[in-house]
Amino acid sequence: MSVSPTVGATPGDDLTMAKRRRRLFSLGGWELSLLVLLIIVTTSFGLGVPGFFDNLSGFLAMTSNFLPFGIVALGLSLVIFTGGIDLSVGATASLAAVVAAQLWATMGLNIWVASLLGLAMGGLLGGINAAVIVLLRIEPLIATLATSFIYTSAAVAVAGDSPPSGFPDAFNNMGSGAMAWGSFQFPYQLLIFIPLAVLFWLLVTRSAFGRKLVTVGYNSEAARYSGIRVPRVLAAAYVISGMMAALAGLVLSAYYSAARADMGDVLLLTTIAMVVLGGVSIFGGEGRMGGVIVAVLLLGLLRQGMLIAGFSDMVTSMLTGAILIGSIAIRNIFSTRVGGFGKRLLALIRRPAIAGPDATRHDAP
Amino acid sequence: MSAVAMPSRRRAIAPRFTMTRELTLVAVTVGLTITVGLLNHDFVGAQNLRFMLLNSVVLSLVALGQTLVIAMRGIDLSVAPILGLAAMVCGLLAQTHGLSLAAALPLALCIGLVLGTINGVLVATMDIPPIVVTLGTYSLYSGLTFIYSDGTQVDAVSPTFAAFGNGHLLDVVPIPTPVVVLLVILALCWYVLRHTGFGRAVLAIGNNASAAYAAGLPVTWVRIRVYALSGMLAAFAGLMFLCYTGSATVTAGTGDHIELQSIAVSLIGGTAIAGGRGNLIGTVLGSLFLSVVLTALVFLHVPPIWYSAGEGLMILAAVQAGFGRRGARA
Repeated sequence: MSVSPTVGATPGDDLTMAKRRRRLFSLGGWELSLLVLLIIVTTSFGLGVPGFFDNLSGFLAMTSNFLPFGIVALGLSLVIFTGGIDLSVGATASLAAVVAAQLWATMGLNIWVASLLGLAMGGLLGGINAAVIVLLRIEPLIATLATSFIYTSAAVAVAGDSPPSGFPDAFNNMGSGAMAWGSFQFPYQLLIFIPLAVLFWLLVTRSAFGRKLVTVGYNSEAARYSGIRVPRVLAAAYVISGMMAALAGLVLSAYYSAARADMGDVLLLTTIAMVVLGGVSIFGGEGRMGGVIVAVLLLGLLRQGMLIAGFSDMVTSMLTGAILIGSIAIRNIFSTRVGGFGKRLLALIRRPAIAGPDATRHDAP
Repeated sequence: MSAVAMPSRRRAIAPRFTMTRELTLVAVTVGLTITVGLLNHDFVGAQNLRFMLLNSVVLSLVALGQTLVIAMRGIDLSVAPILGLAAMVCGLLAQTHGLSLAAALPLALCIGLVLGTINGVLVATMDIPPIVVTLGTYSLYSGLTFIYSDGTQVDAVSPTFAAFGNGHLLDVVPIPTPVVVLLVILALCWYVLRHTGFGRAVLAIGNNASAAYAAGLPVTWVRIRVYALSGMLAAFAGLMFLCYTGSATVTAGTGDHIELQSIAVSLIGGTAIAGGRGNLIGTVLGSLFLSVVLTALVFLHVPPIWYSAGEGLMILAAVQAGFGRRGARA
């Protein structure tokens, strides 16, 4: 994971590369607003909703309910960085988890060996996605839509009539257990998520691969002409996304202590919302990993807070949808880069300032 | 788009190109019907042919709107909950308050118009990517359905609804009413897309939105109208779903992933996901093809769990076939 300072870049490119690097390193305005929002949400729920923040252990334990979404979001953002999308994450999670569980249940494999094979299965499914996209040159949206149908069927077939359940406690702990130091408890899911989040953040901001990923998403033709092996970068993104989905599936099956074939269905829409809310452009080439990580916590804690406050599951997901639209709308209104409403609004404010001196100059003679 | 690509672009608008895609679809559908029919004679019986035809109507209606949206380089995931909400509202009112079919139709269209316009305004004036907007409204609208239904479901609508969904318009001609309705709507949409300024604006925006804007087209207004149209077609499909099945549950539309099916069918029909090309007749033939394939799987005794995989493989095959031909021509 080394930074190669020049990727066959001309001096002119160096400047833009340096600019881009600075942009990726810094915590931008969007991430900062998300972070502020996260703090506001956490404190207001903590003060207003009994049971949200009784003690640190309980608060941290709550993250176990949404961190599988976060794990998927980490992998999915790599794909969205390249300008693609992976609609098969839910089906991949289910299939990988079901395969691992069946290996454990019917073939008597050690649960951790089976889990590793499940992870490999996720990578393989991601590889199939990449093959369909790169070799058959089918749009990612269609390709992963089609493969998600296929993976779903396969997951149902593998799961059979009675989905495997009753895993060893050590495995179940991964989903619902916590490490204890005296009275303080630290959930294992957080123990998985934090290193992964740091790893992905480093991968995107500080590695050559991360830079290639964003460059491919920004302009894949330009990336190709500057010597980046675009198919290889795409393949890596989809394989990693598949593996992350598989990991989330394994964590979910540990959480439920059962591997159901429809387990991953809920993952897709929420994770896309997390990635987009995190500031990653759905068209690729733009966004930061830090934003995604904050957005995972923001959406997750908001959802948990509302559920504890007594809102129904449906109202909570409606609000998630509204927040998704509202946040991007607000972002666009205040962004000068995007044309349209925001630009017009700013132009309205700015016009007098520009017209002022002009008017005096014309009035003078 | 560069000047070199212009000839193929022009040909894309000409009817001849679309005919090849349509003929291929017809040939494949007929070929599949005959092949499966040879294996199982019931497959080509009048009753099953009628069933396959009727079964494709709801999806066709949704997919017509989806085709217009995709041709404009957008995407509308919220068609499924719009369908579900329209079916639920009309169905519950018909069941409890005796809402007539004549009153249900404008009601459904209004629901679709309002919800579709919300999508359109968010996409067109706020510059939010369509996939994000319709993902958000997907959960909003399905939440509305859930709240409105309040745990109840529709299972007893008046006979007029069932007659509309399953009967014949004229007793002498054995063509089911929904098929006639679909053909009329298809003709309207086709005329609008091919022969009106609005339709040309849709394709122009799909091809290059900034060029369309520079050329003086009312991009924002056209976008809003297309999403509104897609919403209305989805809501009408919801009413049709209610009439055809005689029931509506909370998961109507969203449970079958009709939003994904409608996208798949549009692409099978020859509409370009990158915009600028829309083939409405292909879309309807595509959903008929999907209906035939899914019914064939039943007749071939394929276990139900593999239906969804069959659908996925079919999407890949159809899109791949389209790509090959496009590559050869260019």
